[in-house]
Amino acid sequence: MKYLKKLIIFFVIIIPTYSSAGFFEDLTSIISDNPKRLSYGVSVTDVNQDGNFDFVVTGFGYPNLALSYENGKLINIINQKKFTDEFRRTIGVAACDIDKDGYEEIYFLNTDTYSGTKKYSDRLIDFDGRKFIDLFETEKNQKDLNLTAGRSVVCVDRKGDGNYGIYVANYGGPTRFYEYSNDIIIDKSVQLNLAKVTGGRAVVAGHIISDNIDIFAANERGANFLYENKKGKFLDVAYEYRVEDVLQNGRGTALSDIYYRGRLDILNGNWGGFHRAYVLKNNIFKDIAKPPYDEPSRIRTIISADFDNDGFDEIFMNNIGEKNKLFKILDNGVIEQIPLDIALEKDGYGTGAAVADIDNDGILELLVSHGESVDQPLSLYKAKIDSTKKYLRIKPLNKYGAPARGATVTLISNLRKHSKTIDAGSGYLCQMEPVAHYGIRKKEKNIKIQIKWTNGETKIMSVKNLNQTITIKQK
Amino acid sequence: MKFLNNIVKFTVVCALTLLFSNISNSSEKNYYKELITDWSRIFPDQNRNAAGPKFFKYIIDKDITYEDFIEYNKLYCAVSGSLIDPNAEPDFLFVSERKTNEKICGDYYKCCIPCSCDVMKYSKVEKMKYKFINGLKEFYVFTIKNPCNKKDFPNRVNRNYFCDGEKINNDQVYNLNGRVVIGLLHKGRSCKKVEIDFIRSHQITGSFCELRNNTPLENLETGMGDIFIKLAR
Repeated sequence: MKYLKKLIIFFVIIIPTYSSAGFFEDLTSIISDNPKRLSYGVSVTDVNQDGNFDFVVTGFGYPNLALSYENGKLINIINQKKFTDEFRRTIGVAACDIDKDGYEEIYFLNTDTYSGTKKYSDRLIDFDGRKFIDLFETEKNQKDLNLTAGRSVVCVDRKGDGNYGIYVANYGGPTRFYEYSNDIIIDKSVQLNLAKVTGGRAVVAGHIISDNIDIFAANERGANFLYENKKGKFLDVAYEYRVEDVLQNGRGTALSDIYYRGRLDILNGNWGGFHRAYVLKNNIFKDIAKPPYDEPSRIRTIISADFDNDGFDEIFMNNIGEKNKLFKILDNGVIEQIPLDIALEKDGYGTGAAVADIDNDGILELLVSHGESVDQPLSLYKAKIDSTKKYLRIKPLNKYGAPARGATVTLISNLRKHSKTIDAGSGYLCQMEPVAHYGIRKKEKNIKIQIKWTNGETKIMSVKNLNQTITIKQK
Repeated sequence: MKFLNNIVKFTVVCALTLLFSNISNSSEKNYYKELITDWSRIFPDQNRNAAGPKFFKYIIDKDITYEDFIEYNKLYCAVSGSLIDPNAEPDFLFVSERKTNEKICGDYYKCCIPCSCDVMKYSKVEKMKYKFINGLKEFYVFTIKNPCNKKDFPNRVNRNYFCDGEKINNDQVYNLNGRVVIGLLHKGRSCKKVEIDFIRSHQITGSFCELRNNTPLENLETGMGDIFIKLAR
């Protein structure tokens, strides 16, 4: 009998670790009209300027979609050809306000060939309140069209003044950096020291090594780039910081506060290679990844987010033609795998994924796109959590009223100092909602929020009430 | 009762194994991952042609045990400088010892078959002693003569890796008695006659290598082509 007692006590201790076997619930059925298709990147932005975020899903020979949450359903709300544009084969997408009107434009990176010269240029979609226009179709903007195959795009407020440029990670041709200059969109990649030729895959931007917006690009068949922002121009310091990883082929990448220490480090997946968890120490990024996290897989998007509102971020690894994986980042850099059943997608051909609290209930939804070699419908998941868990969502807007993509939000409490980036894109083809979403830990108190804007200036404020989205505008 | 006790113990062990297998804090070394991570430190100009000696030097300069040294040295090709898959099988071959000309048998981890032939023909082995963190050990290493006074030094090899003027560059490669160490002969020992017969009759180390080693240099297209041979001959 006493052995039976021991066994019971033991399992009472152990079982909570594994009670997460049903971590997600499947909400795919709320996606209206969800046929099999070839999809790639997903972004989250307010497409129709109604104050709510929508999922933008790219189509490769299929229409680009804008999925809006209405009456408990995710519904495609855009059918205008400039936006849907199934012929140009869109794979990468990122949104940011490049014309400083307070609304985000959407950059669609089209790729009709694997590498090198392509037939169709990219689109930069603006909404005039009635119809969508492609800014690259305006004659004055056609001088520097991108006619090279690419993968990812990221928004970069390089001078910290709200004037966003767009870094285009091309494949087999030079990188592009588009920015408005004297009311014309031009490529400034050469003058900013960004026009390198590589197999561009993922690219992220944020406060990585400086108080300005730096860029990390994970490449294929060549070294990664880590661009330190030097007064608005860039210097590649990947070798010095030891993130060049020449022999690996970069894919999903996300900025994440791996040690909950108030700074952004780098999660970097490699195709069929070792997945990295780079943490900065003494001006060198040290890869602390160990099995099972670092085990090679057919990785695509990597997302770092607190799905279950427990105050610890998860890492979702979206694999193609291979099971997805989920991990939780515990204290002290320990990365623990969470068993998946829902969202495992063992036969899934995941090509992209993004998170947003699309239904505004304080819990993140995860939209996964599929395609490449197998047409499959989209899938939508949400963590199964109990209603007692609390959250806090911080939505920083820049001085023009647009999402402050690239800014860093830090939650400071008695238990942690936890930084999150306002996602600028395009960890691999995708871009998350421009909100820092925090679950609240047990016994957490004295919560303050610090925002580091894209110009490096900081603002700190106390938070009294939880379970809300706080919008903070830059002055 | 003893049976029940054993069930409890077994269950606890299984559960703990399951628990910790999911946590990303394994302390087991991944030698291959380390070499991949540090590759651009080993080859800053990204030219690894015939640069097995760079790997050997990088590894032996680490603060490691003899066992670590053995494992690292299974993961690159001494002839080509390529990384080798961790699950690769070695070729069993012999190489002449420099001083005695005695045939020394052992395992050679190669990236491709022709490299086994090249190492047999163009290198010599020497016994080397080295103090690791767990003690002084003795082992056989492949060596080639100092290539730095060659007029036809292969232009696809980074000369600076090997040479400081006409001398061996001791900062970059390991210099053993005036020769460049290119890699480790695993499990090296004096050959028995039966082993020599086996190697000579083997389809790779026998017939294939005989063909390759009698092919004019200008006709060599497989393996490293003639790059290593020009460096080592």
